[in-house]
Amino acid sequence: MANRFGLTIVVAVVAAALGSLITLAVGNKSPAAASPATTVVRTAAGKPDFSGIWQANNEAHWDLQAHEARAAAVLQQGVYPFEYAKVPAAPVLALGAAGGVPGSVGVVEGDGEIPYKPEALKVKSENGENWIDRDPELKCYLPGIPRAMYMPYPFQIVQSASQIAMAFAFSSTGRTIHFEQVEGPPDLTYMGHSVGRWDGDTLVVDVTEFNGKNWFDRAGNYHSEMLHLTERLTPISRDAIHYEVTIDDPNVFTRPWKIAMPLYRRLEANAQVMEYRCIDFVEEFMYGGLRKQPLVKHWEGESLIVDIRRKVPEGDKLYEWYRR
Amino acid sequence: MNRRLLRLLWLATAVLAVAMLLNLVPLRVAGQAPPDEAAKAGPAPKTAWGAPDLQGIWTNTHEIPLQRPSRYAAKEFFTEQEVAELDKQRTAILGQDNRRYEKGSEQDVGGAYSTAIFLSHKPTGRRTSLIVDPPDGRIPPLTPEATSRRQAIREFELALLQATEVCKNKLPGCAGGKYGPPSPRRNEAPPFYLATGAAGGGAINRSDGPEDRTLGERCIGAALPDFGGAAGFFPQFIQSPTAVSIFYDTGQGQGWQRVIPITDRPHLPKSVQQWWGDSRGHWEGDTLVVDVTNFSPRTDFQGSRENLHLIERFTRRDQNTLDYTVTIEDPTTWTRSWTVKQELSKQDDKANRHYKEPRCHEGNYGMPALLAGARAEERAFKQRKGPDPATLCSAGCGGFAGGFADSGEETNPLAR
Repeated sequence: MANRFGLTIVVAVVAAALGSLITLAVGNKSPAAASPATTVVRTAAGKPDFSGIWQANNEAHWDLQAHEARAAAVLQQGVYPFEYAKVPAAPVLALGAAGGVPGSVGVVEGDGEIPYKPEALKVKSENGENWIDRDPELKCYLPGIPRAMYMPYPFQIVQSASQIAMAFAFSSTGRTIHFEQVEGPPDLTYMGHSVGRWDGDTLVVDVTEFNGKNWFDRAGNYHSEMLHLTERLTPISRDAIHYEVTIDDPNVFTRPWKIAMPLYRRLEANAQVMEYRCIDFVEEFMYGGLRKQPLVKHWEGESLIVDIRRKVPEGDKLYEWYRR
Repeated sequence: MNRRLLRLLWLATAVLAVAMLLNLVPLRVAGQAPPDEAAKAGPAPKTAWGAPDLQGIWTNTHEIPLQRPSRYAAKEFFTEQEVAELDKQRTAILGQDNRRYEKGSEQDVGGAYSTAIFLSHKPTGRRTSLIVDPPDGRIPPLTPEATSRRQAIREFELALLQATEVCKNKLPGCAGGKYGPPSPRRNEAPPFYLATGAAGGGAINRSDGPEDRTLGERCIGAALPDFGGAAGFFPQFIQSPTAVSIFYDTGQGQGWQRVIPITDRPHLPKSVQQWWGDSRGHWEGDTLVVDVTNFSPRTDFQGSRENLHLIERFTRRDQNTLDYTVTIEDPTTWTRSWTVKQELSKQDDKANRHYKEPRCHEGNYGMPALLAGARAEERAFKQRKGPDPATLCSAGCGGFAGGFADSGEETNPLAR
C-alpha cells in the first residue's frame, strides 16, 4: 500500500511539473492538482473511464496560436491600407458578425510559436491565404488527428479494456485506439493509426501512419506524412480531461512542440452525438461548376465568382429593425 | 509491489493467455447453419463489467439472398447437395472469360467497372433467405401508397431511358417502358429524393448534377439496416457499460461510426430526421435490443423512407457467433412487419485488425469526371459533333451487376 501511495505522489509531482509548462493553455493549474483522485470515474479494471460525450470549448479549431479577433476567415483590403483594418472578403461577407473569427490566447505551449522550418512557414502562410481552396475541412474530408479532437463538434468515447472507439460528429467518422499489438493499416491514413497504453492515470496514445493531407486548424497550420503524435489524456475531474499532444514532424518542424487544452464532458442529460454527415453539404461547393444548370450563376471553370445580392426583405431594413 | 497486486497481475495474465488461445482456434465455417448443426464453440463471453460481450470484428461468411428464390418457395434451408450445385453454377458463371455484352455497347461499358471487381463472391449459405418472417421468406406486399411511390420513380427512370438503345432494343433495363423520342421529363426534378435501393430509383439516366447519381456514387451510400454485400463487410464492435459502438466498413470507403447508447431516454423529436435515424439500446437478458426511428426522407430501404422503424437484436450465441435479427416495420410501406436474421462469424481481431478508413469522398474523382463527361457530351451535340445526350445511356442501362447478368443464363442463381 505504502508503495502505491508513493507512486501516486511521484505521478502528482511529475504532472505538476509538466502542468507548469502549459500556463497558456490551462492557466497554470496542473491536472493532478485540480483532481482529487476520488472524483475520477474508473473502469472495472481501475483505469480512468473516459466513456462519454466530450467537446473542446476553445478557439483552437480557428488557429492553434494566440490571435486577436478578426472580421472574417478571409479578408480583403478595406478603406485603410493597414493589415489590421481589413474587411471581410466577398465569399463570407453575407455572414455578418457570425462570420468573424474569435480571438484566443492560443493552445501552443511555451512561447506560443510553432517551430516551422523556413520553407514550411511559407507554405503555412500561403495555406492561410488560400483557406477556402485548401482547407480539407471545407470539403468535408476526414478531419485527421488531433484536429478532430478540438473541432467545434462533440465526440463520443466508448472505452473498453482492449480498445477505445471515438465517434466524431464531423463527417460521422471514428478512430480506434488499440491497446493490444495489432498490425498497422495497409496504407497511410487520414485518421492515423493509434496505439494506446496507460501511464498511471494517463492514457498515452501513439499516432502514426498519417498520409499528410490534413491540417491542424483553419489558419493553415499543417503537417506531412512524417507526423508522429503522442497524445496524453489525464482526468482533471469527473467531467474534464487534460488533453495534450506532442507533435513531431521532421519534414515540417525544427523540433517537437506541444499543444494542450481541457476537453469537457457534455453534461446535458440528453446529450448525444448528432450526425454531421457533410458530404452532400459540400457538393455545390465542390462540383457546382459542373452542373448542367448552375445554381449559382457565375462559375468560370472551377472558380466561383460570387455576386452577392443580399436583398433585404420588407420589415427587415435597418431603420425598421431600430424602430421595432 | 505487494503480494495481492502480484496475484492480481498473475490472474490477469492467465486470463489474457486463455483469451489469446481462444482467438487462435481456427474459425468455424458454419455459415447460417440450422441451429442443430451449430459447432461447439466456447460459451459467449462477458465483459469485465458483466455485460454480454459483443466485441470484435464480425462478418457474414456466406451469401444468402434477402428474399427466397421463388423456385425454393417452401424450403427454409438448402440441402448440402443443393448448396454444392448452386456453388458450382455460380462459380461457372463468375469464372467465364467472355462474360460481357457486345463489345463497346453501353451495357458492356457500364458493366466493365462492376464485373471487374465484384467477381469475388462468398459461398452459398444454408438458408434460402435472410428473411425468416413472413415464413415464405419474401418481403410482404407493399401498401397502395408505397406502390404508387415506386411506380412514380420507375416511370421517371423509364422516361429518361426511352430514347436510348436500351429501350429501342427492348433490353431488361427498359422493362415496363417503351422506345420513343427524348422525354420532356429530362428537365424535371425526380419525384422523390433519389436514394439507393430496389425501389429508391438508385440510378437515373442523367448527370445534370451530383443529385442525379446514386448515393453510392456520391459516397453517401451507407444505410441501415446493413446486411453486407457479396464481398467485404467487417463491422467492428467496441462497447462500454453505457454504449455499444459499431464501425460499419460499408462498400468501398463509405464506412461510418455508429454509437448505440444504452438508455431509456425517449427518441429525438419526430421533426429531427437523420440518415441513420436515432438508435436507443437496452439489454434484454443477453440480447442487445436497439430501437431505431427518426430516419430521413433521403433514405430508402426497400421503399421505406422516414417512417422506417427497426427493432434490432444482437445476441452473441457463442464465442464465434453473433446473431443479428431485425424486425422491420413501416405501415405506410408494407402491409405487415417482417424480420431478417443474419448470423455473423467472429474474425481474428489481430489479423483483420484494421478496417480501411472511409475515404470514398476524399478520392471521388468519379463524380467530377461523370459530370464533366456529361457536359462534354452536351457541348459536342450542340456543335453537331455528337449524338443527342438523351439517346445515350449511362445509368439504369442493365448489363452485369455484381458479376451476374440481368437476364438469361448468366443471372445469379440465388436470385432466380
